[in-house]
Amino acid sequence: MTVLSKAQPGRLARNAAYTAALAALLGTAAACSSSGTPAAQASANAQQTIVFATHGLGAEGQATNAAIAGFEKQYPNIKVQVFNLDASSTNQLTQLEQRFQAGTGLDVVDGDVTWAPQFAAAGYIKNLSSAGFDTSQYFPGQVASAQYNGTLYGVPWYINAEGVYYRTDLVKTAPTSATELVSDAQAAMKSDSALKEGFAWEGDKYEGAVCAFIDFLGGFGGKLDLSNLNTAANQQALQFMYDTIHKDAVTPQAASSWQESNVQSAWESGQTAFALNWPYEYASTLKLASLKSDIGWIPFPSTAGTPAAALGGDDLMVASKSAHQAADVEFVKYLTSVAAEQQRAQTAGDPPGDKSAYNDTLYAAAPYFKAEQAVFADTVSRPSSPVYPQISEVLQTMISSVLAGQSGPSAALSSAQSQIQQIPGYTA
Amino acid sequence: MATVDEVRGGAPAPDPRPRKKSAKPRRGTLLGQDRRLGYGLTAPAIVLLLGITAYPLVYNIWNSFHYAVPDIPFINGKLAGLANFRRMFSVGSTFMPALLHTVVFTVVSVVIEVAIGLVLALALNKSFRGRGLVRAAVFIPWAVPTVVSAEVWKEMFDPQQGFVDYALRLLHLPGGTTTWLANTDTSWVALFIADAWKNTPFVAIILIGGLQVIPAEIYEAARIDGASPWRQFRRLTLPLLKPALMVALIFRTLSAFLVFDVIYIMSNGGPGTSTETLAYLDFNAFHVDNDYGYGGAISLVLIVLCLLIAGAYTRIFRERA
Repeated sequence: MTVLSKAQPGRLARNAAYTAALAALLGTAAACSSSGTPAAQASANAQQTIVFATHGLGAEGQATNAAIAGFEKQYPNIKVQVFNLDASSTNQLTQLEQRFQAGTGLDVVDGDVTWAPQFAAAGYIKNLSSAGFDTSQYFPGQVASAQYNGTLYGVPWYINAEGVYYRTDLVKTAPTSATELVSDAQAAMKSDSALKEGFAWEGDKYEGAVCAFIDFLGGFGGKLDLSNLNTAANQQALQFMYDTIHKDAVTPQAASSWQESNVQSAWESGQTAFALNWPYEYASTLKLASLKSDIGWIPFPSTAGTPAAALGGDDLMVASKSAHQAADVEFVKYLTSVAAEQQRAQTAGDPPGDKSAYNDTLYAAAPYFKAEQAVFADTVSRPSSPVYPQISEVLQTMISSVLAGQSGPSAALSSAQSQIQQIPGYTA
Repeated sequence: MATVDEVRGGAPAPDPRPRKKSAKPRRGTLLGQDRRLGYGLTAPAIVLLLGITAYPLVYNIWNSFHYAVPDIPFINGKLAGLANFRRMFSVGSTFMPALLHTVVFTVVSVVIEVAIGLVLALALNKSFRGRGLVRAAVFIPWAVPTVVSAEVWKEMFDPQQGFVDYALRLLHLPGGTTTWLANTDTSWVALFIADAWKNTPFVAIILIGGLQVIPAEIYEAARIDGASPWRQFRRLTLPLLKPALMVALIFRTLSAFLVFDVIYIMSNGGPGTSTETLAYLDFNAFHVDNDYGYGGAISLVLIVLCLLIAGAYTRIFRERA
């Protein structure tokens, strides 16, 4: 280049250099100003493809595909492309947030019941209050979870509640207290050498552990009151979680890194007498030939008289940056229709979010939904807050450090309360 | 006129032209035109560098003194003062434990890797049949992406299908039923082994380079003088290897101090919070909580600590050299 500049000390070389510099600057500027324009909306009749971000293993995934096939038959102009989210709910949330922040790419989003307030507060999802959904059709707790400042942002798809499964060949009568559950589990392990553990539950540092904690809280009369966490009952619940692993030996040490899928395989392979899990397990278990036993499903037994079953389930949401909102709403309506929900309930065991789906048609095909009502009746929701993910992370750390023996229940609870108060935007 | 040597930081080549006294050539002279063209040509690179290093750094400092949480719009962008820094030291915060874990991890892993790396380098510097093959085999772990090697090691330490417990049981050694990654102490053992497997070859590569420039004649002279192999190592190899050793130490210390990937894959900071390091905490703040203020504050502390480490090494290096 120096040779060139000596030969032609004039404009050509200089201009080339300045042009290159200018191009680099413009490139940076262009990259910075690409967001913030509202998308032009396609009509529901137009030929289009919408992206549905969802998750689900095995039967749930198949049920989703079946529902999409049904929708595409009814709306031949709309193609639905599934964007598969990770199996862990923590990772799902990260995946969704990253894509929402990027602005585009998702149209309909299947999210946990705790996420709507956060997404709505950030402006990621569309206000659905005038989209024609009748909130009186849904379970009140789940409607509340799908609202932000009293406005509907999500549509309940299926409801979930976490309860204790037990094998009736090993446990004759359902336990009525946590202590009884542990002694039943120990007795079962003694009588059946095929059992590797007595009580399987998920203790990994993820959202599932918070749900398990809520279930156990009910057993001792505890409550997830974020401004008063360090209560005797809450300590007992945490101590119970620690003891099942380290003292009573009914739960393996590996359970402190177990997620739902590990609990599911422990239960389905017949290596545990009790397992904490969601309703989908009911359908899966009944289909299993290998598990030659009848099963029972109860809320975690409470000595305080107020059993708690963590409210779970999924809400469907429409991305506010989607260019296909008319088609998106049609798709959400299809998925949440009584027929589609009943079909999903029968094949995947996901209990409909629509109350009117619980009728004789459903019971005829899947009678266990009648038995599941007992658990649904005790649902307790997680704290509703736009900063819930941050709150949950503190609770996960709390549970995890107790299970690892790093700190005692009381110290962990008061640390957690102090850390929750440090979350930016947290108000009690 | 930039020569190749100047760009590489070497001594400037002698300029055949008589050099003018003034450093600032006047406009219009050939040298002045050269200079301006030089600025023009380097401008894109400088703009790019400012864009990808200076801008994020300044933005990060700005964030650390603000609430920068896009998911919580009603507080996002507000001035936080020192709140993000106070949060690190508040009751129940995992910052101080993570700092301790990071320091312990750095010291232990660097000591292991430099010790084994030195032995490997000395062994591979001797000539023997098939040396090329052995060298290549030793360096393979370093070429494997950490995500892959960490996943493999995680499986290896699994009590059911892992190789580690199986081998221990086969040899009738204690610990054959250990759930390595579920205990607050054994999980560190697993992490040290996985990290050393991956990074020891790096240290060995650098040290072999250092060994190769030591002339063979001085060993010959030492042998004639009757120096024992140990004395040769102490008095010749080690002092002459010092520059290479320093490079390996600086690189490994800084990257061990910022360790994230192997921990994220293998233990995910657990059990409990027992293997959380500063970089892991930072990742959590940024990508799990989407809290760019708190994440920025942790990053700033990390940057300062890294500068201190680099400064300390430079000082030691200068004193010894």
